[in-house]
Amino acid sequence: MTSFLDNIAVIGQNTQLALAGCTLFGGVAGAVGTFVLARRRALLADVAGHASLPGVCVAFLIGESLGIGGRTPWLLLAGAAISALLAAWCVPLLARLRGIGPDGAVAITLSFFFGLGTVLLSSVQSHASGSQGGLRSLLFGSAAATNRGDIIALATLAFAALMVLIALFKEFSALAFDEQHAQSLGLPVRTLDLVLMVLLVATVVSGMQVAGIVLVVALLVTPAAAARAFRGSIARVTAIGAFIGALSAAIGVILSLRFEELPTGSAMTLAATAIFFVTLLLPGRMMRGALT
Amino acid sequence: MNDLAAGPMRSFLVFDLPVLVAALLALIACGTLGNWIVLRKESMTGDAIAHAVLPGLVAGFLVAGRHSIIAMFVGAAIAGVATILIANWVRRRTKLESGAALGIVFTAFFALGVALLEFEGARQVDLDPGCVLFGALETLFLIVPANGSWIEGIPREIWTLAAAAVIAIGFSIAFAKELAAIAFDREHAQIAGVSPRWLEQLMLFVTSMAIVASFEAVGSVLVIALLACPSLIAAPHASSLRSRFTISLVAGCVLTGCGYLLAAYAPAVFHTSTALNAAGMIAVLLSAAVPLSFALRALLNRRSA
Repeated sequence: MTSFLDNIAVIGQNTQLALAGCTLFGGVAGAVGTFVLARRRALLADVAGHASLPGVCVAFLIGESLGIGGRTPWLLLAGAAISALLAAWCVPLLARLRGIGPDGAVAITLSFFFGLGTVLLSSVQSHASGSQGGLRSLLFGSAAATNRGDIIALATLAFAALMVLIALFKEFSALAFDEQHAQSLGLPVRTLDLVLMVLLVATVVSGMQVAGIVLVVALLVTPAAAARAFRGSIARVTAIGAFIGALSAAIGVILSLRFEELPTGSAMTLAATAIFFVTLLLPGRMMRGALT
Repeated sequence: MNDLAAGPMRSFLVFDLPVLVAALLALIACGTLGNWIVLRKESMTGDAIAHAVLPGLVAGFLVAGRHSIIAMFVGAAIAGVATILIANWVRRRTKLESGAALGIVFTAFFALGVALLEFEGARQVDLDPGCVLFGALETLFLIVPANGSWIEGIPREIWTLAAAAVIAIGFSIAFAKELAAIAFDREHAQIAGVSPRWLEQLMLFVTSMAIVASFEAVGSVLVIALLACPSLIAAPHASSLRSRFTISLVAGCVLTGCGYLLAAYAPAVFHTSTALNAAGMIAVLLSAAVPLSFALRALLNRRSA
């Protein structure tokens, strides 16, 4: 009887931790997403999500061969971040080739990295131990499949991204408002875009386990798009984006824990989309917003 | 007859050939239409449709029961066309860039599809969420009946893909002039009396259909590789529309064949028991070939200069 009660308490604690971690991730995604949208990088978020798969698989294989276990949270996050950054770096390079264009560059990069991830995943799945089951849950996200270590790792990464965003908020705001204006102020536009790319990748990677690598882009794009329905300063729109993101993530986690079959990523995405379509119907939207 | 593993030739015919044929047919269907899509700079529209058809497929499946091709096609085609229409509406209403508008809509459709799939999958396992992403190429094989012709043993997916390939080529030939007009200069086409709206809708419908046919066999992500990569491989070498189609399809078929063989036989060469995912390997080769093709062009230019 006592052990049963203990179990309940432990599950409850883990659930609270997962809920807190996911809410933090959702909030950061909504805030970072505001600038991702302003800089027209929505498709890059899609690429970064898909492109983390090969990195995760390699990290898993490295972890297994080092004997520290394939599902070491930090190792997986690092692997994901490296391959997502590589992909994000490939896109502008390819887009420069005549006849490819930004659209084609995104398509090529996405299919290369995700294709590679698919091949590696089939290799991982026939290779390894019982912990490989956790890799499947990466695809559509699962809050229930995370453990304490996963949540602490993802929350730390999301928190770090948030701190960088706050530290550079003024610079990012100038850039989001008007690139030429930012340039005339003497801001290093290229460096800021690079930092934004790193923030984007950090956010995507921190959310991949709970939102899933295919759907994590929705948490960056949809809440931020919904926030643009509200008028006001960039700070206000960013805060609203963060709030909608956190709300969507929290609703997603609660629903997915309540209905076992529902993947967390799907639930988060559908919650964010529902909020977005409500804001679409707001009267007088977007008329004098700072980010039109 | 019962011993399927009688000789390497027989195992090739039963296990390898159907997969190879399915992959090649999917490439022909998607690669042909992909040329028009790439010329219109709408590669990511194809990606969005590939993700968004999922709830339509599942809904068709649920309404009609097990694997009714017609119902699944209708459901998926509706979902594909709806995605584009809703994304256009969102873009007009919010002034978001088209990538962001598409991102909002296709993730929502895909999330809905995955949720439907998981709920349904708990009861009857037939469409697997993993297959949705990675395809089920490896599950195709020739069923040789004890008495009867081998044609009856050809899997349904191959017939579907063959029909899609024929329709894609037929559509491209029949409307070549009009499609070229709207691909290169939409405004000019309008003045010249070609109705872009009407043709664009038809194009969208045919593309959705080809994507659905390929989707089940090769998964939602390889579809984008099949659509965009062949045309982009041909881009630096083609001097006319006709040569672009020819180069893209020939190069695409060769790479698809190589990808399959690599996935099937590389593990044996390296003495591992792992079976590698063929759809993923094909996507890797197709996409890696694009920058290589551009590099080859630069090399040839330098040589001739």
